[in-house]
This record gives sequence, C-alpha cells and structure tokens, in this order.
Amino acid sequence: MATRENIYANKIFLNAVLPLVKIIIESNEIMAKKFKNKNGIVGISAKDPDGKVGTHYIIENGNFTVIKGPNEKCDLELEFKSIPALNNFFAGTSKKLPKIKGWYHVGLLTATLSVLMYMAKLLGATTPPEKADEKDLVVKLYFSLLAAGISQLNKSGHPAISKWAKRSPDRVFAWKVTDKPELSSYIRVKAGKSKAARGEYKRSKPFFTMRFDTTDSALGTLLGIDDMIEATVTEKLIMEGAPEFGAQLGEYMLLVGSYAKGS
Amino acid sequence: MGGLTYTMLDTTNLSTAEMYGNVLCELGEHHPEIVGLSADLAKSTKIGLFANKFPDRFFNTGIAEQNMFSIASGMAKCGLVPFVSTFAIFTSMRALDQVHTDICYQNLNVKMIATHAGLSFGQAGTTHHCTEDIAIMRSMANLKVIVPADGIETANAVVGAYETDGPVYIRINRGFDQKVYENTDYDFQIGKAHQLMDGNDLTIIACGSCVYQAIEAAKILSSVDGLKARVLDMHTIKPIDREAILKAVHETRRIITVEDHNVIGGLGSAVGEVIVESGKGCAFRKLGIPDTFSIIGLHEDLMAYYEIDTNGIVENVRKLIGLEFEEDEDWEDEV
Repeated sequence: MATRENIYANKIFLNAVLPLVKIIIESNEIMAKKFKNKNGIVGISAKDPDGKVGTHYIIENGNFTVIKGPNEKCDLELEFKSIPALNNFFAGTSKKLPKIKGWYHVGLLTATLSVLMYMAKLLGATTPPEKADEKDLVVKLYFSLLAAGISQLNKSGHPAISKWAKRSPDRVFAWKVTDKPELSSYIRVKAGKSKAARGEYKRSKPFFTMRFDTTDSALGTLLGIDDMIEATVTEKLIMEGAPEFGAQLGEYMLLVGSYAKGS
Repeated sequence: MGGLTYTMLDTTNLSTAEMYGNVLCELGEHHPEIVGLSADLAKSTKIGLFANKFPDRFFNTGIAEQNMFSIASGMAKCGLVPFVSTFAIFTSMRALDQVHTDICYQNLNVKMIATHAGLSFGQAGTTHHCTEDIAIMRSMANLKVIVPADGIETANAVVGAYETDGPVYIRINRGFDQKVYENTDYDFQIGKAHQLMDGNDLTIIACGSCVYQAIEAAKILSSVDGLKARVLDMHTIKPIDREAILKAVHETRRIITVEDHNVIGGLGSAVGEVIVESGKGCAFRKLGIPDTFSIIGLHEDLMAYYEIDTNGIVENVRKLIGLEFEEDEDWEDEV
C-alpha cells in the first residue's frame, strides 16, 4: 500500500519527470534519431490496489505525445509491481527492473530504454555537463520539472503547496535564463488551481521570476553547487518580484527535488 | 479631512489650500511678475495670503469669474504670470468660455488653482460639488491638468506650474487632505506618475485625495488578502504618463482607477484611453462618482458612499481579482 509520501513522489515521476522525454527527443538529435519513423504506444506504469497508475507516450513517426494515466493498449509497457517500486527505480535507489510487456518490439524497447537512461544521467548529474547544448538541456529539464513538480504536488493535495495555491490569486511564477527564452518554464496558480507550462509566459510579466544570468549560474543553483543566497548576492540569480516569494519558491523547489531523489 | 475648523493636530499640517497660499507667497517674493486674482473668494481659496503680502499685485474682480479669467489672459499677454483662484466649479463651468477662448486657445501663461473640487465641499451640496472638471479641462487644448494628492504635492505642483510655460489647471480640495508625502523632496515631475508602492498583482491608479485611500487599501490587501498592489499617484491627468500605465498593464495585468470625480471623462477614462490605444488587454475597473449628481454629506461619508474610500477600493479590488481574462482556463492539459 502506497503512503501519501509515495503518492506525491509518484505524481512527480509520472507527471513531471517522464514527460521530460519529449523535451529530450525534441532537443537532442541522437535521441530523436533513435525514434525516427517509429510508431506505437509506450507506457510506464505501476500496479496499485487502488488501480494502476502510469504515463504513456503516443509515438507517431518519431513524434511524441505524452498522456497522463496508463493505457491498456500499449505496444510496449514497463510495468512496476508497485508505486514504491517505480519510485525507487526512478529515484535511483533500486535497480530492480520492471516487467516488460511487448519486449518483442525491440526497436521501441531499445530506443525507450536509451532515452530513459540518458534522462537519468542528465537529471542525476552532480556536476555540469561539458557541452554547451547539454548544459542548456539540463537547465530546460530542471525548469520544466520544477514547474510541473510543484503543480503536481498541488494537484495531489500536498498540504503546504495546496495551502499556498489556495490562497494565491491568479499569479505566474517563472524560471528563466537571461537571453535564453527557450529554456524557460512557468507555473500559473489561481485559487487552488495550478498549471505548469514550458516556454515564456507572454500574457504579461510574470508575478515572480527566478532569473539566472547564465546557464552556468542556473546549473550552479540547480545542481546544488552554489548557495542560493550567495548566488542572489552576486547577481547570478535575480529575483524579479517580492523577495518573500523567492523564498517560498525556493522552498518548493527543494521539496520537488527531495521527492525526485527519494530523500 | 473635514472643513477649515482647526484642531491642534491640524494646525501642524496646513490645509492643502493654505500650502498653496504659502508657496505662492514664496514664489511671489522671488518673481515680481506673479500676480494673483480671485472673484470674492480670496479667503476661502487661500490666495488671500498672497493678497495680504502683495496687496499691489492682487486683484479681486468681485463675483465676476468670467471677467476675471479674461483679465488674467490680458495680464498674461503683458508678460505677467497670473495665478487665478476660485472654486473648481466656477473655473471649469461658469467661466469655461473665457478659459477656452481667452486663455487656452491663445496658449497663455495663466495658472488656474481651482479649489473645493470633487466632493470636498460636501455639506454645501450638489451645486457646489465639482465632479466634472477633469473631464472638461482635459479636453481643452494646450492646458495641463494636475490633481495633487495632498498639500505637499500641491506645493510641488504650484512650483512646477510656475516653471512650465502655458496654461495649467491645478485641482485641489477644500480643507485638509490626509498626508501622503512627508516633504517635497521626491521626484515630482509634471506628466510623470509617482509610484508609492510596488506590487505585481494589480495597480491602483489614483489622484487627489484618493491617493491616500489607495495606499491604505493596498496595505489591507497585502495583510488580509496577500495581494501585492502597485499604487501610482497619477497627479498629472494631462499629459498622462502613458509609460507608467503601459508598464502596469504589462506587469500587473489588472488596473483599478480611483478618483473623486465622475467616472466619465476623468482619470479612469484617461487611463482607459491609453490601454485601448495600446491594443493590450487587461482587467480594468474605474471607481468614481457614477453618472449622477452627487448627494449631500461630509466628504469622508460621500467617499464611502461612492466606494472611493479605503474600504470601497478593497472591495472593488477583490471583485477585479476574480475576473477571468485568460484565454486558457484548462488546468489539466499541462504535460
């Protein structure tokens, strides 16, 4: 039986981490090549007494669509025996492989495993990658993960975050790197509802923006190399908006990180 | 607030009109070309302070406002700088033809300091309330229109008006205004709004006595509702600060205007025009006197009645915040 904490972590893996595959396919030519001309439905799921949970990808000629929830008609499915098993695997605390249904779709299987492993390598990195495009990709993944992760915790009823969201009028919180709008992500919060999105929020200036001056500065904070306060003092990190909201957002970022790392 | 009945506290904070009178006296000391005119209202409008100090440079035209503005235009033609003081209702309506043709049309250097504006002459009733003057005066070509927030800002506005060539209309209240500024040492510029509080949830744009109310409302909204309101003192209605308005549209998405004036043609309309012309969308609400002749009562009671006091602003901000204006209200399609 999954605990509330297991469920929060699971929502993050299924609805915030696994959707990042789409970003990787769209940003990395080598990974995109592995799915070239491929078609099928690929699911990642976990069994649970309350019903199966999961996320699946619909792949059409190499193009990904990510859909929340399991799919009974998967061509290939990585099925974990329980929610904690899925969480532990993606947090890197267990190497226990899931049951692979449809393993005979070898092309899809190898491509899927490659992209999942690549994603795990990028998200699990403790030092910045060497290549510039890979640095950008890690930042983009993290920004998206944080926005989606906070929104998922709200939707799952996480006490602190749902209380925060409930009290919030219509506000947008954004993560950005100066001069690199393509890396941006944001979360819109309104009276208990929340919605994470990638890219820049263009309707207006966000209520609060956490802006990094360079990709390296962003990696410094996101990978826990730099102290956030020090980064703010040295203006590697610029908080655009009331400082108390920066502290709040920082707290929720750490919360998402702790669930994603299984700590 | 209230009338000209002094309390001990009030005596330490001169009424807005008295600030005007004193500043004009100071200006008069250094600039001999300044002359004063009034139409039997020197005492009420406080230009009487100037009259006492410079009796040879002050002219009481009697109850003949139209003549007074024509005389002022002639004086300006001769190189003098007339400061003309009467009630707002007489400046903007009784003598409008003279203001229009004799002064504005000729772009003459006449400064009109109109007192007892808005609902500030509360007990005197509807005939003495002046809730149309901003609309009327801002449609006069060449004329600059200033609505100071308090006595200190009136001092800045009077000096600014003297330093600006051409006709200027300054609208002030009867009696005491709540203090917004501690001293004149802030960046007052005609045509530039002054930001008093910062916030990104919405912007409250106010003028005149409503500026103080807006600040108090913003404090309540912050502590009770957790809303961060930007407060702009839009002391100059014409030329309006387009830049500050467009910045507010972009950064706060919601704008509420507050004025002691009819909602037709005043500050709200001026702000609304900028927004519409920009093509940018935002949630917008105008607070002021509706399309009606105002009722009689104390100024503070009337402000409450027409929801341009602190509580009225708070309530209306809460309604504005609830407005939907995003195209996408699907909260589930976030992957």
